[in-house]
Amino acid sequence: MATVPLWTDSNATENDTRMAELPAYPGTPRWVRVFGIIALAVVLLLVIMMLTGGDGGHGPGRNKPSSAVTEHGAQHP
Amino acid sequence: MTMTPGLRKLALTVHVTSSVGWIGAVLAYLALGVSAVTSQDAQTVRAAWIAMEVTGWFVIVPLALAALLTGLVMSLGTPWGLFRHYWVLITLGLTILSTVVLLSHMPTVSSLAAVARVADGADLAGLGGDLVHAGGGLLVLLAITVLNVYKPHGLTRYGWRKQHEERARLA
Repeated sequence: MATVPLWTDSNATENDTRMAELPAYPGTPRWVRVFGIIALAVVLLLVIMMLTGGDGGHGPGRNKPSSAVTEHGAQHP
Repeated sequence: MTMTPGLRKLALTVHVTSSVGWIGAVLAYLALGVSAVTSQDAQTVRAAWIAMEVTGWFVIVPLALAALLTGLVMSLGTPWGLFRHYWVLITLGLTILSTVVLLSHMPTVSSLAAVARVADGADLAGLGGDLVHAGGGLLVLLAITVLNVYKPHGLTRYGWRKQHEERARLA
């Protein structure tokens, strides 16, 4: 595994330079990449729905069936 | 900055309570929204929208702010940190996103509740039930909960460097 020096003592000679080795970064975990791809897909889906204005899109009234709402029951006197 | 065990327990209790309460309040909001969409009775639709406005402003918004604030306290006051682990970073991002969307959407809910108070049957039918916002918000909150419970491994580049700096300091 490739390493890079973490720190060195500027007063030390080359031979007794104390170095802590920092292992190379192993990279982004797979679950983060999968999560990112899903998030990107959801955002794209929302953008497409907003742009096309299809059913289930953004804004009030998208979920309402076409049937009318009527007054029922006792009314206030 | 590390909190004392007592303070950490208190912050964790408030954080869990507000986070889970946020999910419960969104479920209640969603139930009201479904009722507004499916009911044929004008009074029921009006009542649902008025209740959605009250639930939003006086339950969901305070719980969201409390969850965000206590989440920040828990991250900064424990070794988890705010930018060291991917699950913390993603949780923070999703919580901020949810809170911003909620705060920007609530004035619209108030406007629709005001319309519902005076609208007749035909206008009430056009209000819908705000199901997209509530359903989407619920999915995001559930994703945050899963991340918080499972805490999947994975250090950010910053977290990786910090971890090895601390190890080198202790060596």
